[in-house]
Amino acid sequence: MGETREALRTRAVAKRYGPVVALRSVDLSVRPGEIHALLGANGAGKSTLVKILTGVLAPDSGEIEVGGRPVAFRSPADARRHGVTPVFQDPALLPDLTVAENLRLTGTGAADVLERLREMDLTPPDFRTPAGELPLPLLRMLDLARALAHRPALLVLDEITAALPSDYAERVFAVMRRTREAGGSVLFITHRLLEVQEVCDRATVLRDGRDVDTHVVAEGGEDRIVAAMLGDKAVGAVPAAGSTAARPTGEKLLEVTDLGDGGRLKDVSFALHAGEVLGVVALEGQGQDELFELLAGDRRAASGEVAVRGRRLAGRHPREAVRHGVALVPSDRQEALLPMRSVRENLALPLSGRRWGPIRLNEERRKVGAVIERLEIDTRAQDEVRRLSGGNQQKVAIGRWLVGGFDVLLCFDLTRGIDVGTKHQIYALLRSIAEDGRGVLMFTSELREVPMVCDRALVMYGGRVAGELPAAEADEGMLLNAAHGLTRAEEVG
Amino acid sequence: MQATTMAATGSMARRQAWTGATLLAFLLLVAVKAQSGGFDSFEIQTMVTSTLALGYLTLAQGVIVIGGGIDLSVGAQMVLFNCLSARLMEGRSFGTCLLIAAGATLAGALLGALTGLVIARSGVPDIIVTLATGFVWSGLALFVLPTPGGGTALEFQTLVLGSGTEFWPPLVGLAVPGLIIWYVLRRTSAGLGIYALGSDRQAAFLAGVPALRAQVTAYAIGGLLCALGGLAATAFTGGGDPRATAGMTATLTSVAAVVLGGIALTGGVGGLLGPVVAVWSLYLIPAIMLARGVDPAYGEAVKGVVIVLVVLIGGLLRRNGRKT
Repeated sequence: MGETREALRTRAVAKRYGPVVALRSVDLSVRPGEIHALLGANGAGKSTLVKILTGVLAPDSGEIEVGGRPVAFRSPADARRHGVTPVFQDPALLPDLTVAENLRLTGTGAADVLERLREMDLTPPDFRTPAGELPLPLLRMLDLARALAHRPALLVLDEITAALPSDYAERVFAVMRRTREAGGSVLFITHRLLEVQEVCDRATVLRDGRDVDTHVVAEGGEDRIVAAMLGDKAVGAVPAAGSTAARPTGEKLLEVTDLGDGGRLKDVSFALHAGEVLGVVALEGQGQDELFELLAGDRRAASGEVAVRGRRLAGRHPREAVRHGVALVPSDRQEALLPMRSVRENLALPLSGRRWGPIRLNEERRKVGAVIERLEIDTRAQDEVRRLSGGNQQKVAIGRWLVGGFDVLLCFDLTRGIDVGTKHQIYALLRSIAEDGRGVLMFTSELREVPMVCDRALVMYGGRVAGELPAAEADEGMLLNAAHGLTRAEEVG
Repeated sequence: MQATTMAATGSMARRQAWTGATLLAFLLLVAVKAQSGGFDSFEIQTMVTSTLALGYLTLAQGVIVIGGGIDLSVGAQMVLFNCLSARLMEGRSFGTCLLIAAGATLAGALLGALTGLVIARSGVPDIIVTLATGFVWSGLALFVLPTPGGGTALEFQTLVLGSGTEFWPPLVGLAVPGLIIWYVLRRTSAGLGIYALGSDRQAAFLAGVPALRAQVTAYAIGGLLCALGGLAATAFTGGGDPRATAGMTATLTSVAAVVLGGIALTGGVGGLLGPVVAVWSLYLIPAIMLARGVDPAYGEAVKGVVIVLVVLIGGLLRRNGRKT
């Protein structure tokens, strides 16, 4: 085992899908005993590279070496035999099979997996449970434990922390550090630059299908990463939030009183005013999912009421909410969009829901065109929304309501898995929506967004609003403490 | 830990509940039949022999649906092997007939494997490919045997159907392949792969399941069972009938029985006992009505209503199960 042998090395790896070039030429090297971050804006080629490295896709050209030996993976199983084991964002556990059957499928020893789960300080589930009945964060940890049980030389973690509660994310970091201590390597794909600072040794940034920068991660290196990710594109200036008074003055658009769903959500009360972006911050499972589903008309209230401009919502159907001007943009873009249909049809959908009969093509064209222009939606692949990048898909999901009209926009973790540049465009858009005299209620799992975008922030804990604070004062530490229910944030009003 | 154990047993109970309910419904129908028209060993023999071919087709459909596919050509395959064997077996000795039967079974597995290969390689949906191959098999059947006819050795009929009122030969004939396939599905990695493929294709691929192999295996098992179905039809009628309508009806009934028997059309869920019992139940409904003096035409309508109701109730139960 020479020190010079890289755990993984690629040379000029390239891949195109028909006319679209996904990877132009990527040189990447991961050393033994290293945690290496792979970064890049959406569409930079990260996911294509990960698929190639894990045997899901074959490259068109270029070389891949694992432990100094050239390899050409035929399948994910083949990659695993060579010591490259991935954990994907969507757990690769089959929902209808039990955990035990899932392990048998990959030839993983159950005892080994149990041991790994204990190392992570997790209570193992009953292995006779069908995987589909376990909570998603636990499934992801099971997937990780399964990967570890194969003792990989290179562990590939593809945005594993994107939807994990922070205590689980900490466990993942601990696993990464242990792997490094044992001489293994980790390739870590993430959008969260703070995580890179926290655990990674080196980072490689991709842009437009090339590796543009590889450097040793250092204190305050975020700017360098962002600059490399964006290239020449200037970072859109973050609009100054909080310039409006922390104590809102506009008309009450949405008023929620003692709202509960009979389950996790209990007695939530707050008001959203015109011209305001109100943030909601919470750890996983504190009732925020239920709150947004209720407000969007997708779940019935057991107690309390929701009023829009003073009119009470019965909460029977999402259509009722939409008709009252309350529109939801979920974090899962697949849930919001018709993936096989065009950008235009997706944007025009609220118009056609309003009445039956022929579509007024001129009106539709005018409204849709205006929104595409305003949101700078990339229309190169406009025939099928699924072929757009994640950020552009999310713009379509918001743009739909700009076409349809609304008073209150509910945004649930809108920027999850979106690149920095597009994020900033979306922040600016939300601010401008508020300036038009409408209201935005946004849940975010990225706490740094709160002071950047919001006027006020509500902190939810245990199904209740545990506190409220002006966004300008809401730094991450304060929000995190409040979200953990440690200290009650200052009550306002 | 306690909670998850309970959840596991709960979900296992839910999985077994459907088969249990199917069995219960079947026993209820048997009781009603016994009241209205008797249910002795002759009745059992009639039931098992006249549904034997359909039973094989249902097992075939079951394995394929569990693997995430659907086969609209099972009936046509049955008709093809019915005509082929009836033509070849006519006037031959018992021994030759057995050889022909063995050859037909093998050919069925090969045809199925070919279908699976085409589906897996082309990426064309199962429903389209098997719709097309169904027409091909129907045409071939007409080519082999243009008009109803052909024959088989009497001993072959006795072997498959039993003699007098003994009902165990057809029951064994159904149970033995059924058990072997159950073992393959539940106790081998090939079978686990079929469940995995039906459960989530992408996740199965990422987990390293050889998708091509699993799909070809599922369709090969299906083809083999369809050939058995054709042989059973030959034994039952003593000849061959190339008309496609019987095949179409059989295909649709096999899908209905699979659904009634607790296999999810989305794949990955279900067993083999339920569908077979469902076939018998579907046979008993018109039989009971006939015994009670109701026009058999109503029997079909009642069968249809029962299918809708059962699937509706099952769907509601599943939805509630998920909510809690």
